[in-house]
Amino acid sequence: MIVRDIMTTRLIAVEPDDTLAHAITLLRQYHLHHLPVTRKLHRKSPEGVLTTLLLCEGMVSTQDIDIAAAAAPGRKNEQALWQERRIVEVMHHASLRVTPTTSVSAAAQILVERGLNCLPVVEYELIEGETQAVLVGLITRSDLLQALSRAMGSSEPGMQLDVLLPPGDIRSLANTLLLAREMHVQVHSVLATPDEQGNLKVASLRLGTINPSPLLVRLRKEGIQYSYGGSLKEDGTPQR
Amino acid sequence: MTDTHSVQSHHRARLLFDAGALHYDFGPTHPLNPNRIRALMDLLQCSNLWNPDDPHTALALTAAATEEQLTLIHSPAYVAAVRELSQPLAEGVNMLARQQQRSELASRYGFGDSDTPPAIGMHEASARIAGGTITALSAVMGLPEGGTFSEEERPLHVFHPHGGLHHAWAEHASGFCIYNDAAVAIAYVLQASEAKILYIDFDAHHGDGVQRAFYDDPRVMTISIHETGRYLFPGSGDVLEMGNGSGRGYSVNVPLEPYTEDDGYIEVMESLLPQLITAFAPHVIISNHGCDTHSWDPLTHLSLTTRGINAQSKLTHQLAHTYCQGRWVALGGGGYALYRVVPRAWGALWAELSEQKVPERLPEDWVERWRKVWLNEASDQDEIAQEVMGKSYSLSEFPTTFNDPAEQFPPLPCRWDINYINRQTTGLVRHLLIPSSIRQAFPFSRQRSPFSDLFDLLHLNRSSTPSRTRVLDTKQGQILLRDFCPPSLIERLRAEAKLNAFARLPEREHKLMLDIAHSQDCSLTVAHTPAGEIIGQVTIAPADEWWEGIDNLYEVAIEVSANWRGLGIARELLAFALTLDAKEDMIFFAIGLNWHWDAENLGISMCKYRELIKHLFGTQGFREYSTTEPNVSMEPTNVLVARVGNRVDKHIADQFLNRLMRSTALTGM
Repeated sequence: MIVRDIMTTRLIAVEPDDTLAHAITLLRQYHLHHLPVTRKLHRKSPEGVLTTLLLCEGMVSTQDIDIAAAAAPGRKNEQALWQERRIVEVMHHASLRVTPTTSVSAAAQILVERGLNCLPVVEYELIEGETQAVLVGLITRSDLLQALSRAMGSSEPGMQLDVLLPPGDIRSLANTLLLAREMHVQVHSVLATPDEQGNLKVASLRLGTINPSPLLVRLRKEGIQYSYGGSLKEDGTPQR
Repeated sequence: MTDTHSVQSHHRARLLFDAGALHYDFGPTHPLNPNRIRALMDLLQCSNLWNPDDPHTALALTAAATEEQLTLIHSPAYVAAVRELSQPLAEGVNMLARQQQRSELASRYGFGDSDTPPAIGMHEASARIAGGTITALSAVMGLPEGGTFSEEERPLHVFHPHGGLHHAWAEHASGFCIYNDAAVAIAYVLQASEAKILYIDFDAHHGDGVQRAFYDDPRVMTISIHETGRYLFPGSGDVLEMGNGSGRGYSVNVPLEPYTEDDGYIEVMESLLPQLITAFAPHVIISNHGCDTHSWDPLTHLSLTTRGINAQSKLTHQLAHTYCQGRWVALGGGGYALYRVVPRAWGALWAELSEQKVPERLPEDWVERWRKVWLNEASDQDEIAQEVMGKSYSLSEFPTTFNDPAEQFPPLPCRWDINYINRQTTGLVRHLLIPSSIRQAFPFSRQRSPFSDLFDLLHLNRSSTPSRTRVLDTKQGQILLRDFCPPSLIERLRAEAKLNAFARLPEREHKLMLDIAHSQDCSLTVAHTPAGEIIGQVTIAPADEWWEGIDNLYEVAIEVSANWRGLGIARELLAFALTLDAKEDMIFFAIGLNWHWDAENLGISMCKYRELIKHLFGTQGFREYSTTEPNVSMEPTNVLVARVGNRVDKHIADQFLNRLMRSTALTGM
């Protein structure tokens, strides 16, 4: 999965010379936490088609605005003035950027390590002899969470089956998938996460069926270990 | 209930049976087999519970659902695809290419797997089922599609056993369901009347299709009590799926643990349904009675017996009479123990609707007939499936009695854990979806620390008289304030027409206030006119389960009639209610949730309303606290304000502040 697959492309942007008041209006109106700061560049292609590019200048977040508001002098007649300040005065330059072909895992690492909520996605283009960063999208923590939830198959009705994988052997997963295909059971997603030693222990499958028993019976016959719902344990604890 | 009543309502319950719907059939090896309905109808007739020739208890299908009705819920493209797949493939040229095209169509619209395979004639059969539910709901609502009846003859309750195909989505078939009959019928009635509709889903699987169809509509409340989607199909149905936009708070989900048994189930149901119905005040109830919750069902982990299943219809019946003038449509639904459970469960359901008693023993000839069928067709699979689901503990026999004998279902080993988790889930649902004053009118048996008795709310005013009055002059005339109202006073007063924030109808609001006045540990303060109309109220009540373990913590709720706003009454009333000797020994908090506000009425924005609430409570020394409390944190305009008294033990105050920010791993998972 690369950034292009999951990034936000609906760009609500401000210009460096806009006021903070304008940014606040946009943040409220669209329920956003970040706005990219861009400069528009109009360009004519050799065929004569006019396109508008957004050159990435930085980012402004609700936090930047909060700080600007807090720093404003407390007297009443001066209070409104901070809203008249220009975005270029409070924005940060967002020197960390990713490109659409960055892998999602690398982008996730950057967000977590740097404690960021949002990264601009840019493509570098040579414009009038200078390399410019053209904004093509944003990637936020919400985008990553949505990608995870989709990867777990939550957008389709289905049931969850955990297949146990003996150490170093993923044949049981492969066989389960083959059986599901044979029995016309749809597989919405497969997710297997390595533990700290890098071993796969469990694969979680989202299956699009309300009637799993025929498949489960076959799995038993093939000796594939799975868990589906808490089977009752005698010691009195339900399996979670 | 008197005899005349039961005779009358007997004649006002009808059963809609449509033989054409028996063609809703995916083949002999499919778990949903129409034979279950045949066995049911046979049982009803053998035990004299229903006679198809009695014109007073049968309801005829008026018509199959039309294209127009189906597309209220389903997309036209989907309906066209179902029609297409419903036809046999005509012989002719390009057979292979057309077959290919067809299977692509099938998999695009959810017919690509073994759950809901395309079947010849399925469009007609499902449209008849949807038409049946439209007929049933229209009949109890007095709409023309239900048939013509005089007002005395109009059916109050209708049972439609074929209905309840609750998994169908707008654009694809799912989980044995093609057209979502309940959703289509509800959408139809929404369009044809002003009614508010309550949908209750008792099926073991989450009622995802119906919930989705009305997720943003405050005129339809959907309540689904089901096995948790952690493993089970369709995987959705978490408590936090509460509706969206103006429909927030109108989708209710109660996910239960696998292997939940009768007692746990009944407890959950009784501590939620009456409250939710009081809060919603529907005109009609439509319920799905999927009986796959039974211990013998091969598709789920729930472990009810007929006792738990019959309790569902009993409670629904009672609620329909209390809140909806009897208007109630019961649908079938899931149920895959075809011969051993479905006929008995739905036979008892019909007996409940028509106020008849089921005989103790099943008719012998019926048992003989269907036991054979069961042995031939289903007993082996039943046994294997039961084992696969981890339910092999219950005896695999063909039943001979209408109700399950308790000794056949020994208690399960982890009952205590299961009930504990279910109680937590119930507490969360109460907390999130039931307005505070209704919660307080239906108290939950709580565990309290032994010291909290020292602090009985009734003795908050240790020195002064227990109940005070004060006169307040306003521009609209004089009003009286009274705290610690005794029930007898509330009985003599009545609620003003616009005092309806919590129960939506002034009469119900009055009933609620009466319940609060009766409740030992709540305090009710009202503002009323000299003519006896209550125009405002403040309740102070112990905090609910989410705050469990914090002593002297009370929740404050305030309401002033829309006709009396802008006169400063709220502020005076609140100040009056909080004039307590013990005020400084207590922690008070209040929660403002934007979906309870009628900002529209006031013509102000949600943000402004929030400021208003903060300001109102600010006059009494409350201040805003940020919190992870799930309801408050759900929307930025929601707000929690609290006042920690200055004599409150520091330990308790810290406990409160910590609880405000506690992590929201709520259900003990």
